[in-house]
Amino acid sequence: MVIQLPDIPPENILRPPGEIKIETKNLDMYYGNFQALKSVTIAVPSRRITALIGPSGCGKSSFLRCLNRMNDVIAEARVDGQVLLDGRDIYSDDTDVVQLRRRVGMVFQRPNPFPMSIYDNVAYGPRLHTTARGTELNEIVERSLRAAALWNEVKDKLHQSAMELSGGQQQRLCIARVLAVEPEVVLMDEPCSALDPTATFRIEELMTELMENYTIVIVTHNMYQASRVSQYTGFFLSGELIEYNRTEQIFENPADKRTDDYVRGRFG
Amino acid sequence: MMRVVSAHKTEKLAFAGLWLCAAIVILPVLGIMMVLAWRGASALSWNLIAAPQGLLAPIVGTILLVALTGLIAAPLGVAAAVYLSEYSRGGALVRLIRLAIVNLAGVPSVVYGLFGLALFVVLFGFGRSLLAGACTLALLVLPLVISTSEEALRQVPAPLRHASLALGASQWQTVCRVVLPNALPGIITGLILSIGRAAGETAPILFTAAFYSLTHPFPHSLLDPILVLPYQLFVMATEAPDVAPGTEWATAFVLLAIVLGMNLVAVILRARLRGSRRW
Repeated sequence: MVIQLPDIPPENILRPPGEIKIETKNLDMYYGNFQALKSVTIAVPSRRITALIGPSGCGKSSFLRCLNRMNDVIAEARVDGQVLLDGRDIYSDDTDVVQLRRRVGMVFQRPNPFPMSIYDNVAYGPRLHTTARGTELNEIVERSLRAAALWNEVKDKLHQSAMELSGGQQQRLCIARVLAVEPEVVLMDEPCSALDPTATFRIEELMTELMENYTIVIVTHNMYQASRVSQYTGFFLSGELIEYNRTEQIFENPADKRTDDYVRGRFG
Repeated sequence: MMRVVSAHKTEKLAFAGLWLCAAIVILPVLGIMMVLAWRGASALSWNLIAAPQGLLAPIVGTILLVALTGLIAAPLGVAAAVYLSEYSRGGALVRLIRLAIVNLAGVPSVVYGLFGLALFVVLFGFGRSLLAGACTLALLVLPLVISTSEEALRQVPAPLRHASLALGASQWQTVCRVVLPNALPGIITGLILSIGRAAGETAPILFTAAFYSLTHPFPHSLLDPILVLPYQLFVMATEAPDVAPGTEWATAFVLLAIVLGMNLVAVILRARLRGSRRW
């Protein structure tokens, strides 16, 4: 007997009003034979924070990594369906992946600064992509560190190793490093999971500031974080996008029982 | 009566046992050095090196040979390691390459000597020369250089590669700017240890580079044959008449001192470079 997966009622997947930055259509993803994402269709609004929640292994991080094609580095990962960035499919043959990742930056779960100086970390992207050197590069570094709310703490030790910073500072440095490339979208994969509450608070504040200029998609385990920072929330379960709506709607009046159970802490 | 086994006691016992095993490893090295020094004591003097037919030429020859070997083996070996560790995604070709490396490592060194004679000395027309010897030794150490370099590359944490790629760096930029600089201490250490091994090899250079000459001890070009310590030792021990007593032992001591010295440099360099990079 073939077990039919229930179709997702389309009314549980909202299409946000206004400009759409990223859109996926029937996105499937596999690791070898394991299907990690099942026909995910979602529209991510421009200059807003969209949170993706769900229990461990639900596919939310895999989904995030489809958006800048970081799954490409995993040999057995395979993607079907469409991911549109400003209406253009990033999985089409003529996509320049390097160019794509300049436009769609990523902050990882654990802070991963390069073992170089603070300055060199931030300057890494601009040195790759631009001819900025000297004062011009200094300005980019300062601007990025200011935008990541780290400038005041590190301005006197720019040439010290980034590995000497605290975890929270390292994560803000990683955000500064992404901003220095001037992306349009910033993907954040549980950026606070390795941080203490104070550092988490700072990053959350920062996200709200960044929203003015960037489209942000954040994967989080922490439902309170999703409800605090995001305008839209998607709930993933077993590789499916169960429900996607305005954040208040998801947390106060979800349409699907599974969403309701999850946000009320009944599982996960 | 029940005996209580003290965890403290077993811990001490285990430590003592492990310490003993480690100490036994050191013994042969110390033992060999001491025997060589003792038996060569009568010949071991500054004169041994500085005399007209002393060891200066073989020492210089050995250093030239080893340096050239490193210059040839390093780019080849590191490039191969980068391909295997950063670019290849498995498949038949990669399995074939790995098989070749494993087998290359198992080939007896005298076979390298004959191969070098056929390929570099005769076919390429290098003659019995510094260049032919270095090429042969480079082949000999290549498997070692590749595997130590690959190991060093693997030690660079994946999140650093991902961070670079996610910032829009190409694979090549990531290798050059993040992976190689962080793997460098390990690569250099492996390289020095590898060519340190080459410094003592006799068979591969027997037909390709070494000669015994009292009249033209120093090479003037890459295509000149050279005096080298292992071969010098071989000749002294088997053919040369009227060698001053103890000279072979003293020569062996000098050879071993050079090899151990190189290893020491490798260890110090690794500690130095590691200290400046942490993750």
